[in-house]
Amino acid sequence: MLGQFKYAVKYVLGRDQAGNNYTVFPDDTFLVSYPKSGNTWVRFLLANLIHPNQTIDFTNINQMLPAPGVLSKRFLRTLPRPRILKSHEPFDVRFRKVVYLVRDPRDVAVSEYHFDLKKRYIGADVTLEQFVPRFIAGGTSSYGSWWEHAASWIAARQGNPAFLLVRYEDLLSDALSETAKIAEFLGIQAGPERLQEAIDKSSADRMRKLEKQQADQWTGTKNTRKEIPFVRAAKSGGWKETLPAHSVEEIEVAWAPLLNFLGYQLQSHELDCKTVPAWVRTGQSL
Amino acid sequence: MIKRLISGGKQFLGMYPPGRRVKVFPDDIFLVSYPKSGNTWTRFLVANLAYPEKNPDFSNINALIPDLEVMPKREIERAPRPRIIKSHQYFDPRYPKILYIVRDPRDVVLSEYHFDIKRRAIPEDYPVQQFVSRFVRGEVNHPYGSWAENVASWFYTRRDDPRFLLVTYEALQVQAIDELARIARFLNIPEDAERLAFAVKQSSADRMRELEKKQAHLWSSTKETRKDKPFVRSAKAGGWKVDLPEASLAEVEAAWGGLMREIGYELVVSNLAHAGMERH
Repeated sequence: MLGQFKYAVKYVLGRDQAGNNYTVFPDDTFLVSYPKSGNTWVRFLLANLIHPNQTIDFTNINQMLPAPGVLSKRFLRTLPRPRILKSHEPFDVRFRKVVYLVRDPRDVAVSEYHFDLKKRYIGADVTLEQFVPRFIAGGTSSYGSWWEHAASWIAARQGNPAFLLVRYEDLLSDALSETAKIAEFLGIQAGPERLQEAIDKSSADRMRKLEKQQADQWTGTKNTRKEIPFVRAAKSGGWKETLPAHSVEEIEVAWAPLLNFLGYQLQSHELDCKTVPAWVRTGQSL
Repeated sequence: MIKRLISGGKQFLGMYPPGRRVKVFPDDIFLVSYPKSGNTWTRFLVANLAYPEKNPDFSNINALIPDLEVMPKREIERAPRPRIIKSHQYFDPRYPKILYIVRDPRDVVLSEYHFDIKRRAIPEDYPVQQFVSRFVRGEVNHPYGSWAENVASWFYTRRDDPRFLLVTYEALQVQAIDELARIARFLNIPEDAERLAFAVKQSSADRMRELEKKQAHLWSSTKETRKDKPFVRSAKAGGWKVDLPEASLAEVEAAWGGLMREIGYELVVSNLAHAGMERH
């Protein structure tokens, strides 16, 4: 009751956390991904690209490329437009322009596992092998399962000119041309030099250094286990070494069609084409 | 400020419809569809099946199968469980068990056109073709996305899930008893032949038309709309074959042909039949 009252007062003053209950404008652009898919990295990349003369770090990233969930509605309303906002929401029809960042779910599972240990969402005794079935069922995130998340966005928007699908892996292997693609999509005029500068300022090494100094000043790392880093491997394919073969197979059996569509090669299992939805087979827009 | 105070007070008392922010319980069942796809008919069918003793009509349907865009938050939260909740929302990962009704978008667009005239969202002389173009672009007078966004977001995320049941409006038209039996099994309601037949009879278009005449002022969706236009309109499948202009037909099929075919809707604009597949 008291909590409800406090919320009502905050609400009247516009100081309540927006959650996903904030006004979306038609000219907003959203950087969307499932959790643990490189969202923070790309936030740094874009913030550095848009604000080349400012120092972007963990103390100001929530303002420079805002995450509506942890900000007040009042702050969000006062941002200059067009806004670029970060989100982990599954398909949301209000988001008209979207950069959708996707990452190999076998790496996402490993990353989420370490993050959940760091956040104390799971006990230190939970093994990766125990964690994976819950991850597949969508039980480790309030944003649904990885499949639901990616499928809901891709099925609803693939082929739409206001939807840009970016793979984390491509961004790692060819940062310059992928960043250029995103910049063009966002209408940011930037030559190779400015692009490279933003990439360098957002390198894993630099982010690791910033994290060491600023972990207490950022919502993503505050009150978490400090011996486990937030910026961890920042690589692709780590699952090949760390994910038990059994867990790999579980993920591939559950999500083969979408893995195939996204170009993530299967290791354990031949794809049964009958189970593949048409939009995966053809990549056509709906 | 005054407005915000009033709205803050309503927040506090739980007097607003929760919409997408509804609190979900693990035993909830959601009756979901895009607007104008037979949701109200299905609501009557399910209500008559699940609560025949309550004599469902337009005056109590919102209490029996609450609409999360209409009923106040606190009433929805206090509804007896397991709740059956009506929704037009696009994909929501929290919905545990879903009965999804889909209807041929070529009929949906015509139904939406007439409904928007009824509720004065567009003037009576608004050109159909222009309406269809906006419909296809997702520029609709409600917050539930385009037809394809709504359908695809559910269909491709949940269609292999045993807790998701897809029913087409068209199948309901052709074989109401059989489809309602599937729905009953899904809802764990005994498939008693008499009970099924009774629910179908109580939810016939004719009976719903009669109820609408008497109760239009009692129901949220018809209360403040033009009374010279009916809510329960043709209640038929395939009206588009007569009423939808050729160019509009081509527009719908070119945009959504792939998804339509996958659900089982035959395309008729022959030179477009393969266009969708070969575009990429």
